[in-house]
Amino acid sequence: MKIYVYIIRRLILMIFVLFGVSVIVFVLARGFPSALDPAAMYITEHTTAEQYAKIVEDHGFNKPLYVQYFYWLQDVFGGDWGVSKWAASQPTYKVFFDRFPYTVELTVVAVLMTVAIGIPLGIISAIRNNKIEDHVSRLIALTGYSTPSYWMGYVLQLIFFYYFYMWGLPYLPNKGMVDEFLLGTIPRVSGVPILDGLLAGNLTYAWSALVHVLMPAFTLAFISLGTLARLIRASMLEVMRQDYIILARSKGLAERVVIYRHAMKNALIPAVTLTGLLFAGLLGGAMITEYVFTWPGVGRMSLQAVFQGDSNFLLLYSLVLAAIIVFTNLVVDVLYAFLDPRIKY
Amino acid sequence: MEVEKKETQSKETIRRSERQAFIDNLKFSLYLLRKNPLVMAGILMVVFFVVTALLSHVLVDPATAGVYDFSKNYGWSKDAWFQWGVQARIIDEFHVFGTDGWGRDILHMMILALPLDLSIAVAIVSGAVAFGVCLGAVAGFVGGKLDEAILRITDIFFAFPGLVLAMVFAAVFGRNMVSLVMAVLAVWWPVYVRLIRGQVLAEKERAYIQALKAAGLGRVRILFRHILPNTIYPILVQATLDLGGVILTFSALMFLGFSPNPAMPELGNLASDGIGHFFEAPWLIVFPGLAILTIALAFNLLGDGLRDVLDPRLRR
Repeated sequence: MKIYVYIIRRLILMIFVLFGVSVIVFVLARGFPSALDPAAMYITEHTTAEQYAKIVEDHGFNKPLYVQYFYWLQDVFGGDWGVSKWAASQPTYKVFFDRFPYTVELTVVAVLMTVAIGIPLGIISAIRNNKIEDHVSRLIALTGYSTPSYWMGYVLQLIFFYYFYMWGLPYLPNKGMVDEFLLGTIPRVSGVPILDGLLAGNLTYAWSALVHVLMPAFTLAFISLGTLARLIRASMLEVMRQDYIILARSKGLAERVVIYRHAMKNALIPAVTLTGLLFAGLLGGAMITEYVFTWPGVGRMSLQAVFQGDSNFLLLYSLVLAAIIVFTNLVVDVLYAFLDPRIKY
Repeated sequence: MEVEKKETQSKETIRRSERQAFIDNLKFSLYLLRKNPLVMAGILMVVFFVVTALLSHVLVDPATAGVYDFSKNYGWSKDAWFQWGVQARIIDEFHVFGTDGWGRDILHMMILALPLDLSIAVAIVSGAVAFGVCLGAVAGFVGGKLDEAILRITDIFFAFPGLVLAMVFAAVFGRNMVSLVMAVLAVWWPVYVRLIRGQVLAEKERAYIQALKAAGLGRVRILFRHILPNTIYPILVQATLDLGGVILTFSALMFLGFSPNPAMPELGNLASDGIGHFFEAPWLIVFPGLAILTIALAFNLLGDGLRDVLDPRLRR
């Protein structure tokens, strides 16, 4: 199969998956008696009974569920994602995309930290297989993915915010994405605080944003680095047993050269794919961390949306993130074929 | 007569050598387990938690979960500023991990929470395995359109971001244990469908299955008596690892406030007590969270060790 045929096939499947996701969320969020009245998102204290009736009629909230779904689908294709009650009845897509860059920033920094810690950990684990270094790195990795993220977040806050503050040391902030007095001092360009600070040439802002992202990003990195480290270890061990490594050794190359020039290149291929998936997974998996650090991203917003029955936000959130996850999967698979010429589609 | 005797003899020899191979294999497995101190630690931790859970009602009177003594809720008082000083006072009064907002001893509540957490984890993982075996085995074995359909459905569930599906599930079906268990199950089953499907597909092509087919064995019998038993090790490893993951997810849901009863002794629920009082009373989150961490770590160490022991590629 040619690669573009494969890509087209996957893109068609992607539409199917997104359709399925939207149906499931729609049925769960609107189809049960416990669900909030979807018209409630459109009304304010000034809405009259006639206006309410018109809202219900316009959006088909009085129709059977499957008809409602098609009403919703029609709206979405017309670019109307509805409104979110929580954020003063603003359009849902605005609510979402205002906050999305914050989550992206958090995730990017977290992935960078994961890679910076996870890859060396995995390599050490593999080249010192079953020695003390391997055990220590295995313990760190496994502790990482056994840690509840809220626990990690609170413990970091306790040490680096609270105790450091009590001891008069320079402490890390535990709330938000920049210092409060800096909010709104620079124009919003990309929405990503660090980047915007740099673009505006305002280093105070960029520094504040960087300091704010450290703890939440480390929390995310700590819980996800285990997966990466274990994968690197396994693939490194696999590669080190290959004939070409034996050849490289037997022709007298230094062990360092064998490991870094010959083994690592092939062993890192699975890491590339995992890093992509990690990014997609963390985008949707950061909600508890965002909650603990009062990070104003979409994850914390989705938590509020669940508790307030904001089905419009939940639909947009799960569709965008599902699209990112599925798309990353596709990119990663295609990338894999480029990195490893042995793989054919 | 002579031929028949010879045949039984050779069968006997094969059987004996098979038994010998099995014993050698087992010995080697035990050797690998012993060689790895972390796995031993994992086993000991799991045993410790299971024994404590079994004895929990002997160690702590379950009725204490319902006894509120507000004179003892140190954690919430304003003068509890420098926590570890308060902590020392608490140790004097035999509350090693402090007391919670209802004045209950946190260590006692953690012990009472163990059987609930462990049994919920086992229930969810076995539910997911059962679901995965049904769908995955059918998908892998039957193949064709059915396989395609099952795979596409799991794709949808894989595309959901993290906890959102579980949270929506829990929110929609009300705050009770059954709906929470279903919520975590809804997120967990697709992993097993893929795992088991892959295993069945690989096993299906092996020569011995072809031989069994040629011998005229029924498809159902081949699937359940021959293919599935051979796929058990990867499932076992995954299930052990997932016991930890399920406890993490379930307690996260409880922590976020999906608990049916705020006074219920459950580790995530105990931790959620401390959300608004973290800097005054850190022990409210630190100790229950640490317990969740150690339980999950125990299962992860065990599962990781089992994978090394059972993976034929790593044994060499």
